Amino acid sequence: MRVLIVEDDAQLARGVVSLLRAAGHAIDHVASGEDALSVIATEPYSLVILDVGLPDIDGFEVLARLRARGDQVQVLMLTARDGLDDRVRGLDLGADDYLRKPFDVEELEARVRALGRRRGGDAAPEMRIGAMTINRSTGRVEVGERLVELRRREWAVLEALAARAGQIVSRETLQAEVFGFDDPVGSNALEVNVTRLRSKLAPDGPAIRTVRGVGYMLDRS
Amino acid sequence: MKAANDRRKRALSLRRRLGIAMLGPLVIAALALGLIGWALISDVVRRTNDRVLGGALGAIAETVQVERGEVTLDLPPAAFGMLENSERDNVYYRISVGSELLTGYADLPAPDPARLSAETPQFRYADYRGQRIRIGEVRRDLPRIPAPVVVQVAETLDNRNALRQRLMAALLLGEAVLVGAALALIRPALGWSLRPLSELRTAIEARDTRAAPDLSPLRTGPLPAELLPLSRSFDRLLGRLDLATSAMRRFTADASHQMRTPLSVLKVQVALARRGSAEALQEIDEASDRLERLLTQLLTLARADEAGALPPLEQVDLVEVSRRAISRRIRQAIEAEVELLLDSPEQAAFQVQGHRSLVYEMLSNLVDNAIRYNRPGGKVTIGLRKDAGGTRLIVSDDGPGIPPGQREQAMARFTRLQGENGPSGSGLGLAIVQSSAERLGAGLLLEDALPGLRVTVIFPNHGEAMDFS
Repeated sequence: MRVLIVEDDAQLARGVVSLLRAAGHAIDHVASGEDALSVIATEPYSLVILDVGLPDIDGFEVLARLRARGDQVQVLMLTARDGLDDRVRGLDLGADDYLRKPFDVEELEARVRALGRRRGGDAAPEMRIGAMTINRSTGRVEVGERLVELRRREWAVLEALAARAGQIVSRETLQAEVFGFDDPVGSNALEVNVTRLRSKLAPDGPAIRTVRGVGYMLDRS
Repeated sequence: MKAANDRRKRALSLRRRLGIAMLGPLVIAALALGLIGWALISDVVRRTNDRVLGGALGAIAETVQVERGEVTLDLPPAAFGMLENSERDNVYYRISVGSELLTGYADLPAPDPARLSAETPQFRYADYRGQRIRIGEVRRDLPRIPAPVVVQVAETLDNRNALRQRLMAALLLGEAVLVGAALALIRPALGWSLRPLSELRTAIEARDTRAAPDLSPLRTGPLPAELLPLSRSFDRLLGRLDLATSAMRRFTADASHQMRTPLSVLKVQVALARRGSAEALQEIDEASDRLERLLTQLLTLARADEAGALPPLEQVDLVEVSRRAISRRIRQAIEAEVELLLDSPEQAAFQVQGHRSLVYEMLSNLVDNAIRYNRPGGKVTIGLRKDAGGTRLIVSDDGPGIPPGQREQAMARFTRLQGENGPSGSGLGLAIVQSSAERLGAGLLLEDALPGLRVTVIFPNHGEAMDFS
């Protein structure tokens, strides 16, 4: 899924970006509150990891403005502050989750996964579509008894389609959810990934249909 | 606390002091009153008894007459009746003409007639028959009698003594009652007077708890004028303690807050290293450097902030300190591809009054900042100048500078102005510089060096140096 990291410490941002990229997410990074507000307005992020201590406007303010303009994007607050007050304040302002620095990497990953599942309305880690089982916690995909090995982009495509199985997902939406704006994307990168994924799921897994001029759809059965 | 107090040599307690100060004069006054009373009573007793004695004497002397050339008298019984009293004093008399006894006790001590004035009775003490007596005597010069007639009446002193003792006893009893009442009242009076003191003590003792020292001003009832300054200075002390501890608490909170980000970096990068990331080790290295630098700076700042007395001012050679700062930072400068140089007029001496280590830390942080916020190929110059306004230590760089509006913010603790991809500072460098300059009594000036930042530290000229500590 597409994640935005708002963190002014360049080194920490680098670390979190490579961590989550390795987990198959499309990650963007900005270092200020104003930048965050403007990219969130245009890009379809599934999750924003928002640091509280930012140089211009702090994370609470960013969150408050997001919610004020009706943006429902999921927000995981990241803070170096200690107080319970801060946690309560963040959650009251509409944060979906809260993590205190220094955090354990596994915890960050688990929380990101949990928030990702909640996005589809179904928080259970396992999803069954026809003969295919997707475990969104472990990233394990099985078709019947067969384990399917996916590259991270392919996983991102599958995750995005599976969350809306049976519906057409437009090409633009899929593109935006799978690639961050810094990713070097060839014009046909999405097609390449879809094609590879399709062949890995075949023959017994659910089919990915191409709806010409519109987008893609993962069959329910 | 208690043990320490007990070990101290104890001064006389206030209660005792007050007791002594009040009872001492009272006893002395009572003694003086006794002595004066004794004198007064003796005088009054003597005068009244002498008057009676004089009356008897007069009555006898009046009856002395000359009849046919002979001195005669008629002793009036009333005269002796006047002298009768409960103590049964003996009464003696003697009337003589010249050296010749007319009547009475021949051996009553005779006066010197020349010493006696006529008609005015005189009194004296004498010993007679083993007793002390008071003699009243008068001379009468009678017509046609060549020798003076001397009339003497005397009495023993029992009555006088008894009267005097009774009066003295009454006086002493009165005094005893007075002193006794004072003694009885002085304890409760002292307790009442010292109660505000013990209230104050209770208020102070209530603060001496291990749990959470309450540093707000003391809460007591209205205090007497003598204790107000004490409670005010105690409150002031509490206030300063409160400021110091809350500054310390804020500092610790800030410091721990500051450590969390590099620690997070470490955790993330360690996890990435486990998963085989190639860059992770480099990042871990950088993060530990950051932590180390942060710790060093926190300690430096804590030292610069320290409220304790500084060692005495010393002569600091700015050229020497600059060279040391350059050699400390030269590796960092080479890695950052920044040229580091000292610009000081040859053979000029730059001596200022200060503390070598503070000047060094301050300059070292300035140079660190100047290298960190610079560009590859840029320059950092340490300049030394001297003019009427003082000795200037100038550090300028080729970095982006600080916009005028943000300069004050830049000196605040833990503030980093740099945004995306900026160098990773602790946000303490300029705070250290400011704190050190303040302690050195030096001025601090942030200006545009076009393009970079120029920081000038102005040391006042010798003799004008002020110790701000």
